[in-house]
Amino acid sequence: MRVCVSFVFDFPFKNPIEPNNFKTNSLMFSTRTLPLLPFILFLSTGGCQPEPYSQGEVLYKYHCENCHMEDGSGLGKLIPPLDSSRLTLSDPVKLVCLIRNGLPVNKLTGQQMPANLKLNEVEMTNLVNFLGSKYASNPQTVIVPEVKKMLAGCQTD
Amino acid sequence: MKNILRFTEISLISFLVLTGCGNEPHRLPYLGNLEMKGSDTLYHTVPDITLTDQDSQTYRISTLDNKIILADFFFTSCPSICPKVKKQMLRLYERYKDDDRVVMISHTIDQRHDSVAVLNRYAHNLGVDTDKWKFVTGEKDSIFYLADQYFVSVIEDPLAPAGFDHSGRIILVDKARRVRGFCEGTDPESVTAFFDTIDKLLKDEYQ
Repeated sequence: MRVCVSFVFDFPFKNPIEPNNFKTNSLMFSTRTLPLLPFILFLSTGGCQPEPYSQGEVLYKYHCENCHMEDGSGLGKLIPPLDSSRLTLSDPVKLVCLIRNGLPVNKLTGQQMPANLKLNEVEMTNLVNFLGSKYASNPQTVIVPEVKKMLAGCQTD
Repeated sequence: MKNILRFTEISLISFLVLTGCGNEPHRLPYLGNLEMKGSDTLYHTVPDITLTDQDSQTYRISTLDNKIILADFFFTSCPSICPKVKKQMLRLYERYKDDDRVVMISHTIDQRHDSVAVLNRYAHNLGVDTDKWKFVTGEKDSIFYLADQYFVSVIEDPLAPAGFDHSGRIILVDKARRVRGFCEGTDPESVTAFFDTIDKLLKDEYQ
């Protein structure tokens, strides 16, 4: 974290446009640096930490990305995009069971969503939180014991 | 010392100028083995096998008049790489859909499941014009042989997801059915570079 902070404060000095024009005292408050403030704040908070739900992202790559694509855009009418399924993505109970059981063959498209029986409750939690944070309009964070209950409640045919 | 530098500079510049002007413009390679017949060179060509398209019509690439082909091999129930390759095929489709010199052909490698009706539904749901982009099936042996001739590996493997192991290559074939290039359909960057290859072939073939 210290590396990041020093980087943040070093940054204006390395401005390639006017390298000699900065004064250390007025640095953070000058009108010139004001527009940079959001960027500096971003660097000092999110920019230095790993992405939230990074395991969820890895799981998404491995289990979902081949069909739903890296950006969640899906494929025509064959594979639905994730951002249009906001309702399901906002409701972790539905989402957990959807991922666990998949979907039967859709008569209109002939496509089906495969079940994911190998994901354990920790992986499922990370995946659901990642999906929620990225695509849900109203993301709800879940914890492992909740997901364990949800999984137990999923009806398998 | 100054003279030596001067001399190197001049010779380097003239070398660059001479070689730059002397060469023919770079052409795309012909992929596959060459055969010599007398004084003629025979290039590898893709066989003209009778196929059936998504509308139950007979389809032969020899009937394509004056067109270049973009081909891939897939199956509709494929859970692994096919959707990604199809996404990239869609990019190619969008780019060349108004260019009558280009046709696209997707061959199914799962003839048991992918009937004509299934292929038709797939094309419809993908939302593409089937005059431009054909979805074809045929005898299993023919299609597997065809894939081999297109340099795409297709293997039936009970251990693979949904029973097939296959490569996601997209193949570029010229008007004379010679293979002139390919890209990896699973890699968007490879497909972006492929745009240039296709444009180059179009330029060479339709001067």
